[in-house]
Order: sequence, then C-alpha cells, then structure tokens
Amino acid sequence: MSVVSTRYEAPRAPWLDRFVLLAAPGLMYLALVFALPLALLLLKSFQNQDGAFSLAAYAEFFGDPYNLTVLWRTLRVALLTTLLALIIAYPTAFALARAQGLAQSLLLAAMILPLSVGVVVKAFAWSILFRSNGVLNDTLKWLGLIEKPIRMLFTETALIIGAANVFLPFMVLPIYAVIRQLDRSLPEAAASLGASPMFRFFRVTLPLTLPGVIAGSAFTFSLAISMYVIPSLIVGERQQTLSMLIARSYLFLRDDQLGSSISAILLAIAVAVVLGSSWLAGRVAGGRR
Amino acid sequence: MPPGSTARAAASVALDGEAREKTEDAPARSRRSAIGARHLDVIGISKSYKRLKVVDELNFRVAEGELVSLLGPSGCGKTTLLRLIAGLTEPDTGTVVIGGADVTHRPAHRRNVSVVFQNYALFPHLNVRDNVAFGLRARRVDRQKIRPMVDEALSLVRMSELADRSVAALSGGQQQRVAVARALVVEPNLLLLDEPFSALDRKLREAMQVELKSLLRQRGITAIFVTHDQEEALAVSNRIAVMNAGRIEQFAAPGEIYAAPASAFVLDFVGLSTRLNGTVLSVERQTAVVETRFGQLVAQPKAQIEPGTRVVLGVRPELMQRAPESIDRTATNSLTTRVADVMLLGSKTHVHGAAEGDDRVLCELSGPVETIELGAELELSWPVADTLIYEVAA
Repeated sequence: MSVVSTRYEAPRAPWLDRFVLLAAPGLMYLALVFALPLALLLLKSFQNQDGAFSLAAYAEFFGDPYNLTVLWRTLRVALLTTLLALIIAYPTAFALARAQGLAQSLLLAAMILPLSVGVVVKAFAWSILFRSNGVLNDTLKWLGLIEKPIRMLFTETALIIGAANVFLPFMVLPIYAVIRQLDRSLPEAAASLGASPMFRFFRVTLPLTLPGVIAGSAFTFSLAISMYVIPSLIVGERQQTLSMLIARSYLFLRDDQLGSSISAILLAIAVAVVLGSSWLAGRVAGGRR
Repeated sequence: MPPGSTARAAASVALDGEAREKTEDAPARSRRSAIGARHLDVIGISKSYKRLKVVDELNFRVAEGELVSLLGPSGCGKTTLLRLIAGLTEPDTGTVVIGGADVTHRPAHRRNVSVVFQNYALFPHLNVRDNVAFGLRARRVDRQKIRPMVDEALSLVRMSELADRSVAALSGGQQQRVAVARALVVEPNLLLLDEPFSALDRKLREAMQVELKSLLRQRGITAIFVTHDQEEALAVSNRIAVMNAGRIEQFAAPGEIYAAPASAFVLDFVGLSTRLNGTVLSVERQTAVVETRFGQLVAQPKAQIEPGTRVVLGVRPELMQRAPESIDRTATNSLTTRVADVMLLGSKTHVHGAAEGDDRVLCELSGPVETIELGAELELSWPVADTLIYEVAA
C-alpha cells in the first residue's frame, strides 16, 4: 500500500548528487598529485631504513635543540609576517572596497601586479635596497641618521618585511571580499544609536569583517610557515627555517626519513591552522556570541 | 515602579551629558525648555549630488509628539531629507534645529535621533537582546540598568519570548519590531523611519501600522516617517509633507491633503481622482468656465486666473455620482462617458470612464454595483464646489 506524500524526498544516496560530480576532476587530480604522494611521505616518516615501523626520525628531530630553535623561529617568523601583513592589509582592503571607478582599478592592479613578479626577482631587488652599501643605508647615512651602515640583509626583520610584501595580496583580498559585502547601513544604524566612531569600529565593523581577517591570516600563515625561496635568498643558511631543514635533509643529508618527518610536522601545523581558522570563522559568522 | 521610569532615567542621563558638552547661555536654555527637546526645525536646507538638487531649500517644523510623513515618489529627496535630519549626510546649506539646539554640524551619534532603516539594519552578529542593548551600551548606561530597559522595550513590541534568538532566525515583521525596540530604548528626541513597512506583506503591514501608531502616541514620541505609499501616509500620520523633486508641495493634515490638494501633483499622488485637462474660457466672480474634452465644466479657483490659461480639473471619485433626472446646472457639473471598466471592490465599486490622453474619469459608487454594463453611456455629476482646479505650469 502506498501513502501519498508531498514531502520532498532526499535522494537515496546523497553522495550521488549530480553536482558533487562536478568536483570529480578536481578531486581526482588532488588525489593523484597531492594526497597520494603526501600519504607515501607520511608513511615513510614512520619507517626506518628497513621499512619497519619506527619513531626514530621524530625522536631525532625533537631531540636536537637546534631543530627546536628552527621550529620556534619558523613559527615566530610566520606569525610576525601574518601580523605585519594584517596591519597593512586591513586599511588597504577598506580603501579598495570604498574606492570607486578608476581609483579602485588602480588599487586592485597595484595589489595584483606584484604577484606577477617572481619571488627571486623581488629578493634580489631587496638585496639592492637592504645591503650595507644599499639604497636604504646610503640614504640614512646621507641624512645623518646613522654613521655606520646597519645590517639589514640576513636578518629576521628583513625576512618578515619581505615575506609580508609577497603575501600581502593573500591577506588583502579575503578582507576586501568581506568588506564589500558589509551592509553600509549597519555602521550608520550604530551611529544613530549613539555609537562613537571607535565604538562602531570595535563593536560592528571589526566583528563583521573578522571572517575575512581569519581567512586572510590563515592563508598568509600557511604560506609563511612553509616558505623556502624567500628565506633562502634573504637570510640564507645562517637562520634556517623548517622548509630549509627539509631541503637539507633530502638534498644534502640524503636522509629521507628525517625529511619526511619534518615535512609531516610542518604539515600538521598547517592543517591545524587551516582547520582551527575555519572553525573560528564558522563560530564568528554563526551569528551568536 | 511605573513602567518606563528606568528608560526615562536613562534619557535624563543622556540629556545631562548633552548639556555638559555644550554650555548654553540662559536665554538659549529657556528657549529650549519652552520648545521642548523633541521639537524639530529644518531651515532652508539643501543638498545636491553632482549638480542635481535632491533637497531644495526646504523649511518645515515638526512639533513635539507629532507623527509626520514624508511622502513622495522615489527620487523626490525624502530619504535624503531623513538622512540630513539624522546627521548621516551633511547639508550644503541650511540648518537643522532639534529641541532648540542647532545640530547641523553635530555628528549622528551625538544627536539622539534614532533611525529605523528600510532593511532594518539589525546587527547580524548580535542576538535580539544585544541588538536592543546596543544603543544603551554605546551611551555607557550602567550595566545593571540595561537589562530591565531592554526587557521593557522588548515587551513593548511583544518580542520578549524571542530575546535570545539570532536575528537571522526572525521573520520580517519580527525583525521590524526589534528595529523599533532598538530605536526606542534609547529614548530618542526624534525617531526617523525610512519606509519601515515596505518589506512586509499587506496584512502584516496594516497590523504593524496600527501598532506603531499607538506605540508612538502612547510614548509621546516625535517621529518622521518616509514612505512612497500614500495610503500608509494617510493612515499613519498627523501631518503629511508631500514631496516632489526636492521640494515640499504641501504640508498639511491627511484630511486636508486629500480634500484640498495644493497642486495637481498632490492630487495625482495622493488618493484616486478624476482628472481632466482643459482651457479657461471665462472667469466671472471667482467662477471659471473651463473647456474640456467632455464639454464645459465650472470650477471656483482660489487664486486669480486668466482666460486662456491651461488648467487641470480634479474630482475625488466618491464625490461623483450617477446624474439624477434633473440637475441644478448652476451648482453641479456633469459629463457623459462610455463605461470602460467596472471594478467591484466589496464595499465600493469603481467605474472607469473612457478618456483620451492623460485625462482620467473615475467614479466611486458605494456598495457592489452590478447594474452598470461595459460600453454603456453613463452620465456622472458632482458639485461645482468639489471641483478642484490647478494651473498647468508653462
């Protein structure tokens, strides 16, 4: 006996939804060139040379204080890079969202064009600027602000400034996207309710643009924690980062297991940041405090 | 403790704060107390966007406790005028005076003028209660006082049960109530509403209109209400300012606006009417004979009018009737038309006559009338005294 029902019937197998199929090429590609090699790499990090299960590589990594220094430096540089990029990007994103016509096109171009200049080119350009007889030091000397050139190249500060420059678009664009969607009557409503500009910013504008800030920060942090070319060109071997350790393990030490385990550690941090930030963004955008 | 006393206490706190920041001379203070804090004067205010005068040299006054509508078609400048009063837009020239104090250059957050926006502009990251509490927190009202004030405001708009809901989970009508509660809880000197009912369906809109009107009257709040819906303006307000192209065409009580529109624009925009173009043939002792497509009609212009002037004649549809057998031709106009359409509207029937150009013939008969046939000749008559006459601008 059949019962007539007007209710919408969900497909028997929701995973067979036709639109899911659109993701198939992308998923297959990712599986082949990303997931599979990564899984092999993870597997390798838990194996010793004979192929047996072993935590030796991890023990070796965490047992060496030098490695911990590098880990800490990598995290610190990534964090400070993210912070610097955020401070520059937030007002920029506002300018971009509020600008109109030609001004907006120019700002967007100024934001995107530097992406087309390779990191290597940029890094060498910075060395002209930062080196001891570089433009910056010469100018400071000429102004009488310093007597001897300051060491700028091969410092963490130079690395952070350079990295923030490279990753800036990845911070600006997500924030810009959120600000563009911000209902302009909300700050106005706040003003009419007696809220000062400061109160409006911290209680309305900032909380509502926070998802953009979180997304941009997650992007920038993930990129900054795994960057290799920028630190190798700006600070060199003197102050290594995790990526440089990985490269050294594979290329110079020929220690696959150590390289794999450092990669796994780096991956774990990146995954934690991505998952953590999307969880945070979900909470912020959830509408309830 | 009588209801509202906490809110009033907060309002006096807010006023104290205002007085502290602006020390006034004694005459100014007495003038203000005589006028009342909730009195609005707009003097010679203008605003242009890219050479287009959106608000053009407007002057008007709203008394304490009055509910005034700004009525006009879209683009007439009504929303801009509202923003000028709220302080969300700076005027090019002119002055805004609230409660005797010149607030023209005072930013929005220091005017004590609440705005209910067309889209309600509820804060999506806050729940109902925190939305309502926002203005109190912004004014640094004592934490312990906020909760009872918010509770009172929510019960006023019958939203107490939904206090902890997310605003995204509310219906349009509920969102509107929250927006009103949020605007009222701070006890503003002026409440400005920008098309607050336009997003609601008809039934809900009418219910909310009745509710809001009684709420504002009960609290003695001065409110200005922007709308393009003439029925809404007639139903809700004490007075209506009919706006067109940045100017106020007429500012009067709803009854007067309807019965004696000051211009052909007001006649067209407010209520339905029969509208006939014509030319003045002769004027004698304040009686003008006008030649129209429907023959000669008579009207009594209030101002001097010259023969040869092109005019528009207007009649409200309910003042027209089927012409009786014998007509007193000196006091009654009449015309004969072919019935183009009959619309039964329940308590009344609209009969549309065939007309050319932008002429329009509309007669409203009471009750459902089913005896009128389409295409039939119909003679309609109405008193000369009820015939409105307007000069057509050259």
